[in-house]
Amino acid sequence: MDRVIFGDNQFFGINHMSEDKAQTLAERFKDVRAILGVLDAAYDCGIHAFMLNTHDKAREICGHLRANPQRYADLRLYPSLPYAYKYANAVNEKGIVEALNDFLFAGRTAGEAFATLIRGGRTIINRDLIDVMKLLVDAEMRVFRGLNVRAVFLQNIVSDLLLGMGARDLLKAFADHIVASYGVDPGFNTMNMPQMVKCLQDCGIENPLVCSSINKAGYFMSPGVKEYEETLRTRHFRAMAMSVLASGAIEPREAIAYVCRLPNIQSVVFGASSRTHIEEIQRLILAHWPAAEPSCAPVVEVKHAAAGCADLNAVTQTT
Amino acid sequence: MLRGGIIGFGRMGITHFAILNSRPDVEITAICDTHSFVRRNIARHLHVTAYSDHEKMLRDADLDFVVVATPTAMHKAAACCALERGLHAFVEKPLTLNPDDSHELLAMVGRSACVNQVGYVLRFSDVFMQVKRLLDARAIGDLVSYKMEMRGPTVLGDTRGSWRSQGDAGGGCLYDFASHAVDLVNYLVGVPERVVGAVLRPVYSRQVEDALCATFLYAGNLWGNLMVNWSDPSCRKPSYRFEALGRNGKIIADLHAYRAFFRGPPDIDGLTEGWNQRHITDFAAPIRFYLRGFEYTRQLDYFIDCIEGRASPGVSSFATAAETDTVIARIRASAAQEKRSERWIA
Repeated sequence: MDRVIFGDNQFFGINHMSEDKAQTLAERFKDVRAILGVLDAAYDCGIHAFMLNTHDKAREICGHLRANPQRYADLRLYPSLPYAYKYANAVNEKGIVEALNDFLFAGRTAGEAFATLIRGGRTIINRDLIDVMKLLVDAEMRVFRGLNVRAVFLQNIVSDLLLGMGARDLLKAFADHIVASYGVDPGFNTMNMPQMVKCLQDCGIENPLVCSSINKAGYFMSPGVKEYEETLRTRHFRAMAMSVLASGAIEPREAIAYVCRLPNIQSVVFGASSRTHIEEIQRLILAHWPAAEPSCAPVVEVKHAAAGCADLNAVTQTT
Repeated sequence: MLRGGIIGFGRMGITHFAILNSRPDVEITAICDTHSFVRRNIARHLHVTAYSDHEKMLRDADLDFVVVATPTAMHKAAACCALERGLHAFVEKPLTLNPDDSHELLAMVGRSACVNQVGYVLRFSDVFMQVKRLLDARAIGDLVSYKMEMRGPTVLGDTRGSWRSQGDAGGGCLYDFASHAVDLVNYLVGVPERVVGAVLRPVYSRQVEDALCATFLYAGNLWGNLMVNWSDPSCRKPSYRFEALGRNGKIIADLHAYRAFFRGPPDIDGLTEGWNQRHITDFAAPIRFYLRGFEYTRQLDYFIDCIEGRASPGVSSFATAAETDTVIARIRASAAQEKRSERWIA
């Protein structure tokens, strides 16, 4: 697992603390070249692991990464899906069935559409939700074809919904599908890490990979900092920390010192908009984590996960 | 253990289910939806009894409370049914499509001990709760004017496939979207005495409005402007901006932060003379379970706390929601009058 992963929320006008900051970011990164400039800065600083949401811009970003294999020879991607707003807006406009059909068939060749029809039935109406979920995951993953993917994350808007609903078989089905079809680790983003870790372990997902907000301010940490710290101390899982700066609410030195002191943190995911900021955060992390190896007990890989990275070209041709 | 049922398992019904189900003291035992795809998957994956008829569900399932999250046109029938059986009721916004229906429901709850709440979730938003405190404490003095803007990318094309394109089902920007902004104005400032100059306009929709504006008038010369547009592609998600000018200062707020200017020391929350800025990270209280926003869990936990006697009801009741429906009706009446004037001018 990469210790430092570069996140992408800032490119899509997301800032949890300020709508003004979010607007500034949306304007600054309207052109994908501006995004690629920052990704290049991160890559050149030695951060070769990127977490990418399946936002509309992901297609262009991945196209560029694919077109320059030598420039990004050591690239490792951690896709996070789905980008929920595009679904919510489409369902508002078209109703759920037509919106789902659009997503399943958009951008497909006739052959691919035919294969989906065979697998999905003529309409999603008669299908089980697990089948629909697999089709949607595969539709979202098409954008990452031919790129090195290390793990595939379920976005918190969906994973926390399933957690709250108690739909354990759907969480397990997602995990099984990622392992079976892509040969990589399934991951779960969450705003409710203690409950999520317990639920995943109850589902039979061993040593789960869980990415959650972890920051000194306790922001986006439900039910609270105490429960997070206890879970990190006592549960066997792989923790990834995001929102470590709480959207700028905590000063970087203090923020990184806090998160790096905690037990069982495998990786820190952070977003930044400039090379200076990237270098600052990376320097702070390396100061606290000088060793390349994780600070916790040895990690047991998820069963059936393929070693190394998956070539999604090969995988998707068989599905 | 409280037993609950959910009528309508669309986006809001699913959200409410997940938040309520995550409470150890609540069990959702029945869900009603008209889609067979939804019912089949509820039974298979959530292990909850699924019904196609809400009357049958309320008759057969032994429930303490119900959540109504159907298209708005069906709220009244479902809520009536629940209240007749003495169930506590949480109804999605707006309460109904006309104030007379809302007042009928209000009369029913007046005759019962049922907790009643409407899903005006912004009354539970961290920032707007802070703004309400400042206004109630008269931190910026007597109000002179305000503006409430709400924008979103909800409808960016033809919506014929959705009930949101049908006015009689409760679709359209005013009922389905702007009702939040109208209710927030009622919550923060109060119910306007008159609505003038309302304009409802389509952008993409054929049968309903996608944008609107109106002026709200109050006693004492206070006035406010409402501007709402759900066909704004520049937004990532629905956003609000409330700006209130008082004799002693100004407050500008959105869902994440507020800025406040004071002519003198306001003597509240450590705020000082001149400009102040507070972000949600400065005051957001932790919640037990997070889904879509702090306010979604907070409003349902408040509903349960009211049922169990741990909180006093009234923050977003049928009574306050009926007031919102009344203002919505006044906006419609004003818009109809403006339209007649336009024809006369033409």
